[in-house]
Amino acid sequence: MKHWRNIWVVFTKELVDALRDRRTLLVLLASSVLMGPLLLLALSGLIASLEAKAELREVLVVGMEQAPTLKNFFERQTWVVKTAPAEYERLLRDAKLGDPVLLVPKDFEATLLRGDTPELELVSDSANKKSEAGVRRVLELLRAFGQERASLSLAMRGVSAELLSPIKVQERDLASNQARAAKFTSMLTFFVLLAVISGAMNAALDSTAGERERGSLEPLLMNPVAALALVLGKWCAVAAVAMLIAVLSCLSFLPGQWLLRSDTLQAMFQFGWHEVALFLVVLLPFAAAVSAVLMAVAIGSKSVKEAQANSTVVMLTFGLLPMVSLFNQSGDEPWHLWLPGLAQNILMMRVLKGESFTTLQIVVPLLVCVLLTVAGVMFVASRVRSAAVK
Amino acid sequence: MILVEHLARSFTVARVPRKVWPLKSFSFKRRPLPLVHAVRDVSFAAPDGHITGLLGPNGAGKTTTLRMLAGLITPDHGRMSVAGIDVVRQPQAAVAHMGVLSDARGLYPRLSARENIVYFGRLQGMSLEAAQARAETLARMLDMLPLLERRTDGFSQGERMKTALARALVHDPAHIVLDEPTNGLDVLATRALRESLRFLSTPAGGNKCIIFSTHIMQEVQRLCDSVVVVAQGCTVASGTVQELLQRTGEIDFEEAFVKLAFAPLADSARGVAS
Repeated sequence: MKHWRNIWVVFTKELVDALRDRRTLLVLLASSVLMGPLLLLALSGLIASLEAKAELREVLVVGMEQAPTLKNFFERQTWVVKTAPAEYERLLRDAKLGDPVLLVPKDFEATLLRGDTPELELVSDSANKKSEAGVRRVLELLRAFGQERASLSLAMRGVSAELLSPIKVQERDLASNQARAAKFTSMLTFFVLLAVISGAMNAALDSTAGERERGSLEPLLMNPVAALALVLGKWCAVAAVAMLIAVLSCLSFLPGQWLLRSDTLQAMFQFGWHEVALFLVVLLPFAAAVSAVLMAVAIGSKSVKEAQANSTVVMLTFGLLPMVSLFNQSGDEPWHLWLPGLAQNILMMRVLKGESFTTLQIVVPLLVCVLLTVAGVMFVASRVRSAAVK
Repeated sequence: MILVEHLARSFTVARVPRKVWPLKSFSFKRRPLPLVHAVRDVSFAAPDGHITGLLGPNGAGKTTTLRMLAGLITPDHGRMSVAGIDVVRQPQAAVAHMGVLSDARGLYPRLSARENIVYFGRLQGMSLEAAQARAETLARMLDMLPLLERRTDGFSQGERMKTALARALVHDPAHIVLDEPTNGLDVLATRALRESLRFLSTPAGGNKCIIFSTHIMQEVQRLCDSVVVVAQGCTVASGTVQELLQRTGEIDFEEAFVKLAFAPLADSARGVAS
């Protein structure tokens, strides 16, 4: 009974203390609340420009006047032929030109009429993402031209054009709309994790290393309060701040959706209250565990500055583990669920893809978080007394 | 009543590598770390209604002794009791009977002075109302009423000290332990503190048992009923100021103190020389 009362007293004091740190809190809140809308806005801008490019039927050509047949074909396909600027190579390299450039040789028409194969050149820069995207469309167009020429000549010789395509291929994409969008939205989960970690960081450091640096830990321990009660109270406050950040950054995606400019992305990125709830199921235990781990790392440091340097390791581990799934092309392995950070990322990606969780997928990361929390809190409680006098 | 008997405590200290690049001397055998005997043999008794001065030069072991008394460090040897409660066995019960102003006296800069004091009162088991009322009483006593609602962020040294003192006394402890409380206080504040402590030791003030650690002779002379001289981690003398003067045959207390505190040092130095 007495312990619960003490935990409550420490918790309320630490929470008031953390909430009075207005400047840090404002920066944290602003970045976590604005993050969702800003990220979505940037993404939708990117996708919208890609879509606009796909709808725009334009081809940049050098020497179109030497190939009237090709020009005629382009125009029949309702493509607009434009003359490429003279310094197209430099423009492509500097990423100032967003379309590939087609080079037509001088003797194109004559070679074609002779029945030989004229050579066209399609110039793009593989480092220039926009022009890369256009290459496929222009190649498709040129293939259609070749197909037409071939079937015409075959027809003139009385051969069926079907001989040229002995097989037919029909593409079927198994990915759902949301799964396709997850390709773009995967970075969102990464930023949510980082927001939670940085939300816990300040409060965790201030309540451990900060208390040591100020010299207030020693007097604090001269009160008749068990070290564990003291540490639990502090941990509750730190976790509360981290969870607040988690909730806010999840909620920020709701209004963020309205800013989506691309209709496709809007259709693909469905983030409603259900998704928010699932995100929080994943994130709240993570916030609790990160708080405990950060406190455990910081209690050994004499100053906040030293603790910041040490907690960078935590930040990097939890923040960069999700990269494993990015580099690992073979898909998710069962052991991924045991790594904090990575497991949360996998689960959030599943939410975004519109897939459900299995019990194991919920239980394993939850268990890991609980274990980390208990270990962290016990460690801090065992160290707090010796830390105070060093 | 605070009793301290034959207290001893040593610490290991980190070794400074002799070479900047210590690879040549690297070995997997761990040499034992050097030991520092912070406290060797400290004993004293501080009765109720009495101000006991703990006088000693810098590094004599005063702060370590008081930290052990507050249950922060466990002693290697020796016994301590506060109002009959063993500090080592029941540290929390003992601490509840003590108000300690330790060497570290950091405040929470984002909380007001009142909140700082009330927080410790709550941790001592007081109700919110009782802690609030007590904070005001103490603020009147320490002449810091105008400070009460201010954040401690911009406090001067003296204002901090007053807040920390009020925080230590919030639960009206029967035993008050102060580690160099006049550090950073000006003449008037020092005087006011002296007055308050003298009052607290009287029957009207609650007959408190007060331990006052300092390295300033004048403080002891003006305030303390009896003195315990500590040097090099040992109690070297105890008694009233008069008794110590008589024992050393000096008229000036400073001379007496130097004789008492540094005589063992001089002896050991002579021992080395011969």
